[in-house]
Amino acid sequence: MIQRLRNACAYLFIAPFAVSFFSFVILPFFVALGLAFVKLDLTSHEPVAFVGLKNFQEALSDQYFWKAVWATSYFVVMAVPLTVVLSTAVAVGMHSMTSKRGRHTVRAMLFLPGMVNVAVAGILWQWFYNGEFGLFNHYLQEWGFSGVPWLSNRAMAMPSVVLMTLWWTIGGSAILLLAALQQIPGELWEAASLDGAGPWQRLWGISLPLIRPVMLFVTIMTTIGSFQVFGQPYLLTRGGPELATRGVVQYIYETAFNNYRLGYGAAMSWLLFVIIAMFSLVQVRLMWGSRK
Amino acid sequence: MGAKTSVVILALLSVVLGFIQMGDRVSLVPDDKVIRLNFWNGFTGPDGRTMLHIIREFNEDYPNIEVTMQRMEWSIYFNKLMVAGIDGRGPEVFILHASEMPRFQRAGFMATLDEVYEGEDALPVDDFDPNLLKQMRYDGHMIGVPMDIHPQGLFYNAKMFREAGIVDENGVAKPPTNREEFMDAVRKLRIDKNGDGRPEQWGFALTMWRNNFTSLLPQFGGNYFDESGQCAIDSPESIAALEFMVSLGGDDPLVPAPENNLGWVGFRQKKVAMVFEGIYMLGDLKRLEGVDRQLERLKRMGGDPKQIIELEKQVQRLHELESELEQLKGSDGDPNRLKELEIEVDRLKGLQYMAAPMPVIGKQHGTHGDSHILCLQKDLDPEVHEAAIAFLKFISNHDIQWADAGQVPARNSAREAEVFKDMQVQYAFSHQIPYVNYPPRSPAVFELQQQIDFAVEKALRRRATAEEALKTARKNFEDFVRKAELPMLMEEEAK
Repeated sequence: MIQRLRNACAYLFIAPFAVSFFSFVILPFFVALGLAFVKLDLTSHEPVAFVGLKNFQEALSDQYFWKAVWATSYFVVMAVPLTVVLSTAVAVGMHSMTSKRGRHTVRAMLFLPGMVNVAVAGILWQWFYNGEFGLFNHYLQEWGFSGVPWLSNRAMAMPSVVLMTLWWTIGGSAILLLAALQQIPGELWEAASLDGAGPWQRLWGISLPLIRPVMLFVTIMTTIGSFQVFGQPYLLTRGGPELATRGVVQYIYETAFNNYRLGYGAAMSWLLFVIIAMFSLVQVRLMWGSRK
Repeated sequence: MGAKTSVVILALLSVVLGFIQMGDRVSLVPDDKVIRLNFWNGFTGPDGRTMLHIIREFNEDYPNIEVTMQRMEWSIYFNKLMVAGIDGRGPEVFILHASEMPRFQRAGFMATLDEVYEGEDALPVDDFDPNLLKQMRYDGHMIGVPMDIHPQGLFYNAKMFREAGIVDENGVAKPPTNREEFMDAVRKLRIDKNGDGRPEQWGFALTMWRNNFTSLLPQFGGNYFDESGQCAIDSPESIAALEFMVSLGGDDPLVPAPENNLGWVGFRQKKVAMVFEGIYMLGDLKRLEGVDRQLERLKRMGGDPKQIIELEKQVQRLHELESELEQLKGSDGDPNRLKELEIEVDRLKGLQYMAAPMPVIGKQHGTHGDSHILCLQKDLDPEVHEAAIAFLKFISNHDIQWADAGQVPARNSAREAEVFKDMQVQYAFSHQIPYVNYPPRSPAVFELQQQIDFAVEKALRRRATAEEALKTARKNFEDFVRKAELPMLMEEEAK
């Protein structure tokens, strides 16, 4: 009886999450799969029609889809390595701090941007980047430089979006890595020091290999998040200039909810899912392969 | 079954029965005489407050109807409305832009509203601009009641005009009315004080590029579609309109570079003397106007007496500072004090904006415009439909109140009212009503607008000529329509 009650309690505890997970993840997952094979235009009187792979074929021959894939890939290539490297550096820096209070203060400060909603962060950085009145250009001009067209120049726009993303996300990743570093037994470093290993050798020989699982986690989560980038470019540039920052998710959103072509939008989201899954698998194999 | 289990089951049963009983009680409340209407719109600014005021009046006048308004940002509003409407969960009454009507009409959840314009207490058809009323007709039926017209027009900084000597015989700032006057003003108002090639003040700046282009389009004789229903966005007339915009840049630019983003913000910050913008930006400008204008407006509207007293004090102070400034200017007084006074007077006088119709840059009058339309969900219960019709008529009959929210009312009678003529911006923009060019009645309007966005941006950044950019836009739009299997225009489908 007690066992049954315990089981019932366990199910009750996970029920709220399970219900929302089923409603907002599992169910839409399969609905989107079904939608990807039909023509469903919300503004049309025509009944939903099965079109086989037509939506996928259209996506593969759609110049805007490929432009969006390119913009997304550009973002991923910049954001993922920078996030992993910088958050690791920050975590190592915090870990080596001798003052506990100092470490806590830095940790809180780094974590703070991540607590801010993407909409707030977007609006804040829009003002930082403003060509005429923005904070960055104000200081650049104070120091005798000319202003930078942060968001309105094709070459500058995506790096600017990445910079804002780093500010926004790096704290969360750094704290995960810091927790991993704190799990490493102190004796290992002491032994290495006694054997004459310097700071770099201790970092390369002990710290990084032992936090590799967490680094893998951070890398995969950052990659997935970066492929799904939407809020930052949408708020900062609306995908401009000249589509330089319009990622796949924004294009899917516009297709499904501005042009009301749900079938085509679903097909593109499945293609994005395949791309993300492939990258994640490759990363897992690479990281675990090198460990062996 | 153990005693404990029985107690638990009984307790649960009583809770469930309690809820059921409570539910019954709620449904037995005699509210069947009150008809509730949900009204959705995107009036999230000061216009929302005005609308709320009108709704309160309606709810008082019609005790058996209760209207509840839900506002949301325009950017998400149409998506929510479409999905809710298709699923039958939409509001009874909602607002659409004229440009959105084709898609919602095609989705098939809009009621026909012919009865609003027919019968004893009908809205008088001849009290609306015929061009506007034409936008309401689909498949031979009226499907909306227009509340307003929001054209693009010219906003200008009267102070800068006076300083540049662009005034009439009474010394009042004189906005340009044609291409020559416009170009002359653009040049005179561009000021590069230190000669570094980076003007501190611009005569003109582009704002929302697409709207700037579509406002010039009809002036050059261009349009979105030709008479045969084919996309004509790359016609010679359209190209000429875009070429004019491009010509403002170049080696000796008359407008800030596209990278600069100095459009509307520049106008607000007194760095740009003229912009083309929509009347819906008026709310933004009202926040920047000087104490004298605020006082005038508040007195006209019968505002809060405490606020009026406070403003009167500030206006008094403004007059004192102005007379001190005049004296000091005439007597070569302390330059520091002079500077201080100038800054303070400028602050109190705020942004001295005025509005005028678009100058004729092309060969004829023309501008882009849209409209807020009241619509109803179809297949409502007859009594709910009747209540909703009463609400629509009430709103339309209170058009002059709506004008105060910063709109040009749809009703001719409202625009002829003396109180409307005191609303400088609305009155100036209303002169353009006869020649407003509304967006095309195309279910693919979003894609068309996006293609125009890309084309205008490319041309302004000089990455393509106006002709190349617009030809690409047309081709891409036609490809989209073909792939999405959509008609170019609603009329095409009706055939």
